[in-house]
Amino acid sequence: MPKTPLMQTGEGADDTLHRTVSPEAPARIAIEPGERRGLFGKGADRDRRGRARAQRDRRADRHHTTKRVAFFHYSYYGPVFKFFIEHVLNAEYLDMGEPTRRTLEIGSQHSNDYVCAPFKHIMGAYIEALDAGADVLMQFTGPCRLGYYGELQESILRDMGYDFQMLNFANVPSGSMREYISYCKRIVNPHLSVPVGAANLLACFRMVEKLDTYNDAYLARAGFEVEHGSFAAARARFLRQMNEAASAADIDEAFRSGMAELEALPIDKPADPVRVGLVGEYFTAQDAPSNLHLEDKLLAMHVELARDLNMTSRHLRYNEPNLRRSIADYVTYDMGPTSSLTIASAKKYMEQGFDGIVHLKSSGCTPEIDVMPVLQRLSRDYHVPVLFLSYDSQTSDTGLDTRLEAFYDMIAMRKAR
Amino acid sequence: MSKIDLHPRADANDVLTIGIPRGLLYYRYHVLWRTFFERLGKTVVVDAPSTRATFTAGDAASVDECCLVSKLYMGHVLALIDGQGLDATGAPTPIDALFIPSVGNLGTLKHFCTKFQALPDLVANSLVERRPRILSCLADSLDAGVSMRDGFIALGCRLGARPKEAKAAFRAAEREQARAEEALAHAQQELLASIERLPAAERPLTILIAAHPYVAHDPFVGGAVEDALRAAGAEVIFADEFDHERAYKKSFEFSATLPWIVNREIVGAILALHDHVDGIVIMSAFPCGPDSMTDDAIQRCIHGKPILALTVDAQSGTAGVETRIESFVDILRYQHKGGYLHA
Repeated sequence: MPKTPLMQTGEGADDTLHRTVSPEAPARIAIEPGERRGLFGKGADRDRRGRARAQRDRRADRHHTTKRVAFFHYSYYGPVFKFFIEHVLNAEYLDMGEPTRRTLEIGSQHSNDYVCAPFKHIMGAYIEALDAGADVLMQFTGPCRLGYYGELQESILRDMGYDFQMLNFANVPSGSMREYISYCKRIVNPHLSVPVGAANLLACFRMVEKLDTYNDAYLARAGFEVEHGSFAAARARFLRQMNEAASAADIDEAFRSGMAELEALPIDKPADPVRVGLVGEYFTAQDAPSNLHLEDKLLAMHVELARDLNMTSRHLRYNEPNLRRSIADYVTYDMGPTSSLTIASAKKYMEQGFDGIVHLKSSGCTPEIDVMPVLQRLSRDYHVPVLFLSYDSQTSDTGLDTRLEAFYDMIAMRKAR
Repeated sequence: MSKIDLHPRADANDVLTIGIPRGLLYYRYHVLWRTFFERLGKTVVVDAPSTRATFTAGDAASVDECCLVSKLYMGHVLALIDGQGLDATGAPTPIDALFIPSVGNLGTLKHFCTKFQALPDLVANSLVERRPRILSCLADSLDAGVSMRDGFIALGCRLGARPKEAKAAFRAAEREQARAEEALAHAQQELLASIERLPAAERPLTILIAAHPYVAHDPFVGGAVEDALRAAGAEVIFADEFDHERAYKKSFEFSATLPWIVNREIVGAILALHDHVDGIVIMSAFPCGPDSMTDDAIQRCIHGKPILALTVDAQSGTAGVETRIESFVDILRYQHKGGYLHA
């Protein structure tokens, strides 16, 4: 049967006016009373011409800089980084897309052997970005080795002969907003508008929350899709729409239509599905290319997934002492950057009757290694199996497939019993 | 302002003998810890220096991926639990409780490896069947707002001391610690001065060992390296014995964002001693997180003196280390004579 295209590329999912009528698909009508106004910025630029105009306007803005800023690939947060660079820093965003096998290979080639795997991934992404013409690279800081990533990577890249600037937030150890702003002005954009930037920074946080909420719903449902590939396609459309958002209103709109589409997709979910909780290290557990697309592999086995670890729970709504109170029977102190979150969410999943836990980390990640005895103890106490996965810069995923299949068989058999 | 209760209930005043595992931060703070507890009238028990047996026992109780020194630490904990701790006279003594602090940071850019933060919980969970009694205290100025002093005073109160006594004990402990560090730094200065007084032809090779104190001074980890250097006729000085405060300040010439205080002190000492040594041996226990990055940066950025980077793991022989040290010393000797062309 010839397939009728449901929509033109680039159009929103609920853009019913421009959509070709399809006899197969049930029509869904979104009623939009009046014109929606954006909270910040110029509101929703619906059509491509509008977007092009907005882009031109932005470039003509006296607050704009033509510097190209690049970021490494990190989970599904690409739209957030794009929004941050375009609407907070008001610079040009250099989109690098998904990393490839080559990215990791050149990254490992220029890194120390036993540095943690995220360093190698990011290193590769930076080299590719500089080759693609980036002027500025961005790096965050954190309480573990991440705090030194930026400086060492900058030094390695300079030794390789690259000329660039580094927006390394570790250079603002005080963490005060005023210093962050003056640092961003110095490195990227001296004409940066602080009021607009601050408002758009809030929109960034909003986008993070929306993306994470969407992903939670996706992980819970995508394993039971009726039509193969329908969820992945819907998510790709959602992320594309988020990627084009230019204001908080656009973000809300993308979220609304994306969630509506996701919830409307037919699923065939058993009453008591196999459920697996994902916990682990900040980068590897979230970034699909780094964990060899573990989530997709599990979803393909018809598993319901849950992952508490994301930017929302680690940054926007992080309350470490509170988390630690829920695991007071097991630990007394904060053990590292994501340790309390890892243990607390593993315990929560076990209490909720999940069938298994998968713990992901990069090889040699000290904080997450220290969490392992606690997880082993939890596993004994609650009788829930935990699969420990340690990722290095390997590029083959056959071994992972075998381990996942064995793990799935084991928890599925336990469930049937 | 501290966010913990500085004067908690004395829930541990039945503890009379405290066991301190001879590993990790023991090598940095042993004077402080010992003085503090002895001032409070407790008996301090430490087990014997590391051997292969310590490692084997610790290895069996640890997650595979833990670093070498962390496994050794676990071995020392087990030795103390098994009553192999030695008191001041060297007699085996059973202990009432283990002392394992949680040391996160002492302020901005004064972080420790997260291992030290997790240590009490790591031991408690790894050895849950043995039910060890662990006395702990917190040092986390940045996130929890608890300085090392606050943590120790609260611990003193838990051990049954009055706040005033706990404060006095900590003051005395700090004083002793400073004195001990000064003595080491002074001895190092003296040694360097005496070498430099010699005529150039008679000067021995001076090699700087740059490593965490629990790597450099542990006989099982760094012992073989020090022995091999001395056997080759070199004079050995240690980066961690250099004046900590001066080294810390100096390290900012090297890096603006390096987060770990011990690595900062090592880097600072390398910079300060660079002109006074003939070669540098950077030693690291496999797989050390902070060192995996700092060592790379040192080799990238500090030029002018030959550097040998050694990663020590739990392999049984010392032949590999000896060969590398011998060839390193040979190279330095050749250089002294004017290089290979003139040898």
